[in-house]
Parts: sequence; C-alpha cells; structure tokens
Amino acid sequence: MRRSLLQSVLLYACVVLVALFTAGPLLWLVTMSISAPTDLTEVPLRWIPSEVDFSRYQTLLDLNDGSGERFLSALRNSILTAGGATLLALLLAVPAAYSFSRRNASMVLLFAFLATIMMPPITYILPLYSTFSSLGMLNKTLTLIVVYTAMLLPFATWLMKSNIDVLPIEVEQAAFMEGASTAYTIREVVLPLALPAIAATAMLSFLVAWDEFFYALIFTNDLSAKTLPVAIADFSAGRVTDYGVIATVGVMATLPPAILAICFQKFIVSGLVAGSVKG
Amino acid sequence: MSDQHILSINNLQKLYGETHVLKDINIAMDKGEFLVLVGPSGCGKSTLLSCISGLTEISSGSIHIAGKDRTHCEPADRDIAMVFQSYALFPNMSVERNIGFGLEVRKVPEAIRKQKVAEVAELLKIGHLLHRRPAELSGGQRQRVAMGRALVRDPALFLFDEPLSNLDAKLRVTMRTEIKRIHQTTGASIVYVTHDQIEAMTLATRIVVLRDGIIQQIGTPQEIYNTPVNAFVADFMGSPSMNLMRGTAVRQDGKIRLSIPTPGGSVLELEDMRTDSSAISEEKRDILIGLRPEAMTDTLSGSRDPGQIADCILDVVEPAGADTYAVINLGGTETIARLSADANVQAGQTVPIRFDLSKVSYFDVDSGARL
Amino acid sequence: MLGRRQLREKWFLLAPAMAVLALITLMPLANTFWLSFTDTRISALPTPTHFIGLENYIYALTDPDFQDALFRTLYFTVVSVGLEGVIGVAIAVLLNQQFKGRTLLRALIILPWAVPTIVNAVAWRLIYHPDYGALNSMLYQLGFISDYRSWIGDPMTAMHMVILADMWKNFPLVAYVALAALQTVPGDLLKAAAVEGASPWKRFWSITLPWIAGPLMVVMVLRTIEAFRVFDIVYVMTGGGPADSTKTASFYVYQEYFNYLRSGSGASYAVLVAGISAVMILGYYAAARRQSQGGAA
Ligand SMILES: Nc1ncnc2c1ncn2[C@@H]1O[C@H](COP(=O)(O)OP(=O)(O)OP(=O)(O)O)[C@@H](O)[C@H]1O
Ligand SMILES: [Mg+2]
Repeated sequence: MRRSLLQSVLLYACVVLVALFTAGPLLWLVTMSISAPTDLTEVPLRWIPSEVDFSRYQTLLDLNDGSGERFLSALRNSILTAGGATLLALLLAVPAAYSFSRRNASMVLLFAFLATIMMPPITYILPLYSTFSSLGMLNKTLTLIVVYTAMLLPFATWLMKSNIDVLPIEVEQAAFMEGASTAYTIREVVLPLALPAIAATAMLSFLVAWDEFFYALIFTNDLSAKTLPVAIADFSAGRVTDYGVIATVGVMATLPPAILAICFQKFIVSGLVAGSVKG
Repeated sequence: MSDQHILSINNLQKLYGETHVLKDINIAMDKGEFLVLVGPSGCGKSTLLSCISGLTEISSGSIHIAGKDRTHCEPADRDIAMVFQSYALFPNMSVERNIGFGLEVRKVPEAIRKQKVAEVAELLKIGHLLHRRPAELSGGQRQRVAMGRALVRDPALFLFDEPLSNLDAKLRVTMRTEIKRIHQTTGASIVYVTHDQIEAMTLATRIVVLRDGIIQQIGTPQEIYNTPVNAFVADFMGSPSMNLMRGTAVRQDGKIRLSIPTPGGSVLELEDMRTDSSAISEEKRDILIGLRPEAMTDTLSGSRDPGQIADCILDVVEPAGADTYAVINLGGTETIARLSADANVQAGQTVPIRFDLSKVSYFDVDSGARL
Repeated sequence: MLGRRQLREKWFLLAPAMAVLALITLMPLANTFWLSFTDTRISALPTPTHFIGLENYIYALTDPDFQDALFRTLYFTVVSVGLEGVIGVAIAVLLNQQFKGRTLLRALIILPWAVPTIVNAVAWRLIYHPDYGALNSMLYQLGFISDYRSWIGDPMTAMHMVILADMWKNFPLVAYVALAALQTVPGDLLKAAAVEGASPWKRFWSITLPWIAGPLMVVMVLRTIEAFRVFDIVYVMTGGGPADSTKTASFYVYQEYFNYLRSGSGASYAVLVAGISAVMILGYYAAARRQSQGGAA
C-alpha cells in the first residue's frame, strides 16, 4: 500500500517525536555532564554548552579525588557484585534448568521460583537484615552477591530451561549411551550447545543486578560495599552545587548497560520478550 | 539358556500411560546375528530399541544382554552402543573426539584411545576427517562417524535406529553395503530398525516384523519372504508387495484347484500341484491367494517351468528398467505382474501370463493367518 | 519415562537452587509472617518481644495513612502501566511501518530500558529542578508557562512527575513485546479487511489489537506486579514527599522498618502488600497460561 504525502509527513513527524522523547532525556543528561557549571544555572537554560568540558569525567576517574574515590569504589563494587551474582546464579540455574527441561521437574515448582522474585523485596528485607546483621555480614560485597544470586536465579533458570528444551535430545542420549554421567554431559555436551543462551542469560542477569538498588541501600553503608545505584543516590541527595557531576555519574553508570544493550540488541530483546510473555 | 544369546528379551511390555505400545515381546538373538526390526510407522520399533538401550524404562519383562540381566541397568552399563537416526554427533567436538568420546568417558589412556580411533577411522575410511567438526561433514560422512563412535568401544551389541533414512537414495545403497561389510568383517551383533524392506532383506540374518506392538513373525529373509505367517507380513514385506487375490480353493485329485474371478466375469482357474496344504479340504472354501509379482510373468521370460498360462487384461503397464510391471485386476484387487523388460505390451492388451504356483501362499480370509 | 537414577538426579540438580531460594526468600518470608504477629522493634539492646495476635493487622487495616499509601500505589501502578500500554503499542505500531531509519529507531528504543532505575530517577529529578530544570526552561521558552514551577515540590503534580519518569524507562519493554506480536499478525487478514472496506482504525481495533492482546496482556500484568513494588524512583526523586503525596506502600513499609524501627508492625504491612502482590502473581500465571495454550503469538 502506498502512502500519500500527508501520511508520509505524519509518519515521519511521529518518528521524530518518538526519537526525541526517547533520546531527549539522555541527550540532556550527556549535555549536562559536559557543560560548564555556569551554563547549567542560567535561566532560562543554555541548551548548547558554551564550551565542552570533560573535566568532570576526569575527576570521577581520579582515585585521589573525593568524588572520584566514591565513584570508582562504587564502580568496583557494582562490577564485583553483579558479576559474582551472575556467575553464581548461572552455576545454579543451569543444573536446575536441566532438571526442569530433561528430568520432568514440576512446572509448578518453576512457577514458585518465579513467584519469589515477583514478590516485593520488603517482604524479605527485615529478616535478611537481622540475619546478616547478627552474622556480621552487613556492608559486604559477598552478602549482596548471595542475595542477588537468589534474585537472578529464577529468571535465569527459566530462560535456560526454555533454551535447553529446544536442543536435540538425541545428542544427550548419545552421551549417556557412551557412558557419560549427567554432570559430564551437561558440561561437555549441553553447555557448548547452549552457549548463546547462556550469554544472553548472563547479560540480562548482569543488567538486573547492575540495576538493583533496594537491597544495596539497606545492606551497605560505606565505600567498601556500596554499589553504583546507592552511590548515585548519595551524590544526588548530597549538597552538590554542580549538577553536572550528578549527570556525569549517571552517564557513566549507564554506559555499560547501554553498550551491552546496543551491541547485543537482538539477543536481549528476544530474551526480554520471551521472558515476559511465555508462561 | 539366556547365556547363549547375546540378547534375549522375555515378555517385555511397554506402556505409555494408558497406551500399550509393546505387547509381550520375546526375542532371542545369537551372537553375530544381524536382527532387523521392521514394521509400519508407529508400530513401536523405536520404542523397542529404546527399551533395549535403556533410554526407556520397560513396564514389565526382562532384558538380558550378553548373558547378564540388564533390565534395570543404565544405558552406559549395558555393553551396547547405538547409532541414532539423526546421528546425534556432538557438534562442538572434532570427529576424533566424537569417536573417542566413550573411551574418554571411560578414562582410557590417550595413546590407546588415539590408536583405537585411528583403527576405526581406517575401517570406515574417514581417517582424513578426524580433525573436522560434524558441521563440516556430508551426510554419509556423519553416518560413518556415528558408526565409528559405536564401533570403537567394541560393545556386545549394536543398536541402529533407521541409520540410513536421512541419506539420499544413492548414498543409502553405498552405506548399506558398507554396514554389511562391517558386519561381516567384525562379526558384530546388530539390532537394526528400518522401515525400508530392501534394507531389511539385504542386511538381515533374521527379520522381526512388528505391528501395533506385537511381533508378527521372526525369521530369515527367505522365510519372511516365501512363507509369511499372515497376510499382513505378506503384504508388508517385498516391493512390490505380494498379490493377495480373493478366490476359492478346493482339493481335487491330490491337487488344489483355485478359482479367481476376473472383472470380465470369467474365472481364472489355476492348479496347485502340491499336496501338503492340509488346510485346503475337499470342501470348497474362500481364501486369499498370495502370489509374488515374480510368479506372474509373461511367456517370454525364460523360465524352465512351463507353469500355467492364462490370458489376462493389462490395466496399466509401468516400465521400470530391468522389469516391466503390469497391473491386472484379479480376485477383486489390482495385482502386479512382473514382466520382462522387453515384453512389448500396452495397457488394455490381453496377454498370456504365466503363473508359477510353486511358492503360493494361502491365507484365511477373515483372520489373515497362513493356512 | 524416568529411570530411578534420573529421578534421583532431578532433585539433586535442583537442590542447590532450591537451597539458595529457601534461604534468601522462603525463610525470610516465613519470618516476616511470624514477625507480623509480634511487637518486635529494631534496637541495639535486646528487647523482649511478645506475640500480640492480630493487633498489628487490626491497626494496619484501620490506619488511614497506610490506606492512602495503598491507594497511591494503586494509582501509580494503574496510570503508569496504562500509559506504558498505550504508548508502547502506539510506538510498536509505528516501528512496524516501513520508513527510513526504522532499524535505528528500533535500536534507540532500548536505551531507556538500559538506563539504571536510579540514574533514571536522578536524571528526571534534574530535569524537574525548580530553578534550573530542563522542563521549566523548555516550557517557559515555548511559552507554555510564565513562571518556573516546582514540579516535584508540589503535592498536586509530584506523583504525575514520578509516573512520567517511570513510564519513560519502562515503555520499551511493552513496545518490544507488542512489536514482536505485531509481526505475527497475518498480512493477508489485514489486506482482506482492507478489501472489505474496513478503515485503518477499524482494522486496528477489530484485527490487530485482538491479535496482540494475549502477549500484551501478559507483559502488562508483569509490569503491574513490578510497578506495585515501586520504591527506588520514589526514594530518589521525592523521598515520599511532598506531604506524603508520593509515599507508596513499599516506601511506607520501609519507613516503618528503618525510620520508626517498628519491625513487628512493619511486617504486618509487608504481609498485606505481599498478599496483594500474590493475587497479581496468580493473575499473571493465569494470563501467561492462557497465552501459551491458545494465544496468537
Ligand atoms: N514418549 C511417548 N509417550 C507416549 N507415547 C509414545 C511415546 N513415544 C512413542 N509413543 C507412541 O508409541 C508408539 C510407537 O512409537 P515408536 O516411535 O516406537 O514407533 P516407530 O515404530 O519407531 O515409528 P516410526 O517408523 O515412525 O519411527 C506410537 O504410537 C507413539 O505414538
Ligand atoms: Mg522410529
């Protein structure tokens, strides 16, 4: 069907509108991060920076600077926490997924798994807090890793299960016939076949952990364990005079997930769509 | 008793929920036999193989392999190897590792492993492919790798599930010969599933015909072909299949007189000289008369036995290279006669056909059982 | 059919995952439930706690502030998810058209989703800034307002500002799901309807929308469950204020726990909130089940 001129104009107007709505806030965040401080306090605003100023990025990447130290240690904690939890979650999720997929484990149980992450975290927070507090485990990266593992596990299991489901079962049967144990078969036969699925699951899990705020807020209280979201909330709540710094921290925290999301868009989108729609 | 057999299956039953897939299966197979399971789709061939392999738990009965009760053993502990229809090669491993996987799992030292893999690769003529991945192989080569993986462990029993069905017609013939050669050189005991009866006839030392989970007949290819126990086996085995004509039979003067109605209203009268068919009495009865297409030929065919000649109308003529097949309506069905290639005949012609009754079979009209 | 070894393996393979989930979610859940019947308080000193039966619940259910928080959360959830649905579908329909730059726009849409929740909250807080915010400046320069306004300092607007920010981050998910579903709508069906003379609008309502309703429903319910837990964005943008106008249920429980240190009473609120969530989760499974059994996609 061909479009009339009016329809074309309308269509492209919508495209521009959507693009602006989507990219606008982000563009503005980036602009703020490289604007001179005085540009940001003009009324009304100066939209195009009078000069491009990358000094805030430099400061934040400088360990000897106060904000830099806060940012960098939060970055380190976030990477450790999200990375560690992703790894652990996958380690537990793959055997569980195999059990659901090939050993007839009940789907009701899988639904119960998923239900645990759909519950509001306030349901779990206080007993967890008391327990960790009495064990002296507050303000530790390891604590967050454990909690995040539980948080990532159900979704990772679910995603891996639906991916193992579609692998050819004869190949595993052949491995069993040849005398391989289940563990050996999973490691040597299933995992290599499921590698793309594992990568997608790992990425989505990492992003979820990277984004987590509530547990981190409650379980951490200083540089040694605070993750980026908590550090950013601190930056934002503190008496910062230069809003550009907050914007810079925001941009830096967004870069890793944004890069992942753009580079592996197909992967991630299909994972997301499958993850939210299939029962 | 069971320790003389490489495989003996006793009273095996298999149910999937309510559905009775295998009913009272009994098989005793000797060492070095090539046992072929045939039957129509869904009759339970794969299920039976899967039960033997241990990939499926059986509902009741027992399975002995190489003299030991393996009814409840894991697949790995049954001293068997299996070649899958889809080959089921490990896509992430080289050919060498694929073949050696079973040895690797059994912690066979690498040097010995390498040597055994090389020997098997030599036997299968895939020595030059050892470092490739399965994805880089042709169908036939994959098939060889799958067989190599089974052969290298030298198990007591080999299981093949329609191993050639994914190959094109020409390659299938080559690989069929190859499998036969391997069977003959290694003396392996093989259980082989197929729905291709030419494969069954050429490969088997004995054939098991299955239908709806029930064994119809176990016998050598010749027994199955020449003396099928019922109309089903007669119809199923052979290509084109046996002609089953409805007619009447009566014993007279030590011969059996057969009358087969033709569409024109006339009756084809034939005589069977044999006297051993005690089922045919002096009382005339309706029967199914089974004649292979090669027992219905033209007069040109150089058969020494003059046979009995009768004129028949050819409905359809299908030249097929070495032979010419002709469809003739006899006894209410379309029968097929196998004429020589240079029989110069056309559809609609009336032609003298020679009937050779030396291998005729008789079946009960209702039960289909051999008489 | 499973052999005995396989049956054993089934549980063996599941055990580690189940253990972690039991420790981190199941036990705390049970513990919270127990706490809700006590007068436990968080304190440095060991204080005696008593079982007080339903007292916490009786208080919670008659607490007008908590009821307000619940309604606020419901309002946030319904409006936020509703907008995401409308905008997500609209954008998906747009992305399903042929135009130059479609691939780029499709890729662009993923960015809001990739922005961490907290960064999103911080960014929008800056945009809403009463003195130097981009929103004020833009509306002023376009002539929509004559004075700068305190968007999140005003109880009348604060909630809507939070909703806008939340919606901006979460519409991509709905858009992608809707797009995936749209791509399965058979073109022949739409062409046939067009030949019959159905207007584009009519075609959308009577063919496209019913076709994508299944997956859309599922993702919206999922978003509803998520939105109902809202905490992070409120914590950063408004701290529940002004005048409690953005104080959501999760935030309410959080304060009861960590500001007022009343863990027993907080637990009873938590259980009530969890109960509502549980109902929604069951709704999700019903929707997902229907979808996977006879849905369009
Ligand atoms: N896992 C199962 N659950 C229930 N029924 C099954 C299962 N596997 C097989 N069946 C049924 O058992 C019967 C036999 O199946 P089987 O695969 O053994 O047939 P087959 O002889 O190998 O057929 P084909 O020639 O098509 O491969 C079929 O009717 C099939 O539907
Ligand atoms: Mg089969």
